[in-house]
Amino acid sequence: MDTTGAGALIKALEDVGCEVIFGMPGGAILPAYDPLFDSKIRHVLVRHEQGAGHAAQGYAQATGRVGVCMATSGPGATNLVTPLADAYMDSVPIVAITGQVAKSVIGTDAFQEADIRSITLPITKHSYQVHDPADIPRVIAEAFQLAASGRPGPVLVDLPKDVLATATTYTPPKITVPARPVLSPVQIRNAAQLIGSSKRPVFYVGGGVIRSGAAGELQKLAEKTGIPVVTTLMARGAFPDSHPLHLGMPGMHGTVPAVAALQRADLLIALGTRFDDRVTGLLPEFAPHAAVIHADIDPAEISKNRKADVGIVGDCRDVMAALSAVITRKTDLTDWWNYLGGLLTTYPLGYDWPADGMLAPQYVIERISKLTGPEAIYTAGVGQHQMWAAQYVRYERPGSFINSGGAGTMGFAVPAAMGAQTGAPGRTVWAIDGDGCFQMTNQELATCAAEGIPIKVAIINNGNLGMVRQWQTLFYEGRYSNTRLGTHNRHPDFVKLADALGCVGLRCESKSEVDGTILEAMAVHDRPVVVDFVVGQDAQVWPMVAAGTGNDEIMAARGIRPLFDEEV
Amino acid sequence: MTRHSLSLLLRNEPGALARIVVLFSSRGVDVESLSLAPAEQGDLSRLDVVVELQDGRTVHQLIKQLGRIVDVKNVVDRTHDEALELGA
Ligand SMILES: Cc1ncc(C[n+]2csc(CCOP(=O)(O)OP(=O)(O)O)c2C)c(N)n1
Ligand SMILES: [Mg+2]
Repeated sequence: MDTTGAGALIKALEDVGCEVIFGMPGGAILPAYDPLFDSKIRHVLVRHEQGAGHAAQGYAQATGRVGVCMATSGPGATNLVTPLADAYMDSVPIVAITGQVAKSVIGTDAFQEADIRSITLPITKHSYQVHDPADIPRVIAEAFQLAASGRPGPVLVDLPKDVLATATTYTPPKITVPARPVLSPVQIRNAAQLIGSSKRPVFYVGGGVIRSGAAGELQKLAEKTGIPVVTTLMARGAFPDSHPLHLGMPGMHGTVPAVAALQRADLLIALGTRFDDRVTGLLPEFAPHAAVIHADIDPAEISKNRKADVGIVGDCRDVMAALSAVITRKTDLTDWWNYLGGLLTTYPLGYDWPADGMLAPQYVIERISKLTGPEAIYTAGVGQHQMWAAQYVRYERPGSFINSGGAGTMGFAVPAAMGAQTGAPGRTVWAIDGDGCFQMTNQELATCAAEGIPIKVAIINNGNLGMVRQWQTLFYEGRYSNTRLGTHNRHPDFVKLADALGCVGLRCESKSEVDGTILEAMAVHDRPVVVDFVVGQDAQVWPMVAAGTGNDEIMAARGIRPLFDEEV
Repeated sequence: MTRHSLSLLLRNEPGALARIVVLFSSRGVDVESLSLAPAEQGDLSRLDVVVELQDGRTVHQLIKQLGRIVDVKNVVDRTHDEALELGA
């Protein structure tokens, strides 16, 4: 087929199964937008390229497919840097396509030239700059395959304008399915042996279990062994919150039972997780009595932060299937469950109502979860509201919580929700956002309104950069330097802003209005809805392991250290 | 600090060397010497590098991280061979 580089690009994207691109045109990428005009691929015109990148991430996580974003050269490309870094940290499969200045002027500081390949070297899995239009179909196929295979991640394809404009012949790319790593039977046997002889084992489950589609295998293996499960921030939904074997989330704002399980365990079965410092606390004091089985598709993660006694390189789904096949009997974990059961009863998640009579943010999130249910998709920004979204929404299925875990990118929620809703038009999508985060990317609500993407946004408006304020309360003697946003004084007025962006704007300030407001938001299907939940500014996220301390010092609430004072 | 001598085979693709060097700088690896030459086989280059690692970082970890780079075909630790060559 005779075409141009641009035509080959769009054809190749169609052939690898791309159904939507989030992007914005500009000089260098303009040739690609011409054949796109006639393509069956949907293009969602964003208002800022950062929104395109996060939308691609949201789409990828909601659908399990590769997300695609597109931008022009120079500033268009550099606006994608944050989403690329975010996708790299959280292993999200996205392909970013950027225009570039013509080959002949690369390296001359041409108009809108930025060396985006070099800028993104440490935050991409791989990148290409294509110099021959005949290579485009192969490069696109490789980029998709690399993004999705092994440990998923972002891939950049940089396309000089002249390469897009040049005539070429289209040859359909060969689409190969990469082989999955073959498991070592010895390591599986060693792991099964450790599991069989342990008295206090725990499944420490990370986002890799969701990426590999292994939630079903996890439930089978957990039920077969009776071993307790903890799910990290990136793994919320990998195991049902309603399941009796589930102890909740571990880490800095994890539940007391989940943190205690790791600290008192004699065996960690770590699956698709990377012993992040937000989970381990002070590393030398993390899970001091535990042997470690660590299974991950990325060999570089095994023994990176904590030495593994048994390291298994493999896809989590294969690993768990293999373990299920060799483990035949339940070990007696009565003592272990007696201990954990005691903690579950004594230290359930809970919160106080603000003394000033304002709304409790946790209650708002609890009610959204209750009234919307587990079939919805929830996204979050970064801060207190994110931790409450992780704690107080009940997740029952993988892919139902999408947030920025590794990078902690404020502004993630709205564009990620836009991407998720695009990929899952039949589901309700709630963005649980902060009043600070919302102001970083709310321009994408205009995109949602114009494109008919009816997301729902719950702004947890505490008037402040709440998470930072919490640290100032706890560690800086309440010296609140630069954390007040003015959002309680309507700077801005979120209801008016929502209206101006083409959304329905609602406000809720008291407990009695919460359910009614949520139901009102749920009844809107033809455009986005923004609810300004005005909540108290002093609510804090508990439990908490203060940064730089060991997990044994977890505080269930301020000053209450259940594990520290425990007789072991 | 520990000192290691590594030998890498990489595809002769634009950006391959840059990706390796950036990995060293992002992960706090000190480069003592580095040399790149065409390898005898195919369209590959050979990179010999001597690095110093921070305490607590292992060369296995670094080798695995280098192995993740798409254009890196092979990494071997030559620390021992080199010691033998020098008669150390
Ligand atoms: C892009 C970016 N800038 C700064 C930070 C640091 N930071 C983390 S949480 C936070 C406060 C977020 O405020 P808000 O969105 O209102 O959420 P809240 O904690 O109040 O729920 C800040 C500034 C960040 N994570 N990301
Ligand atoms: Mg806030």
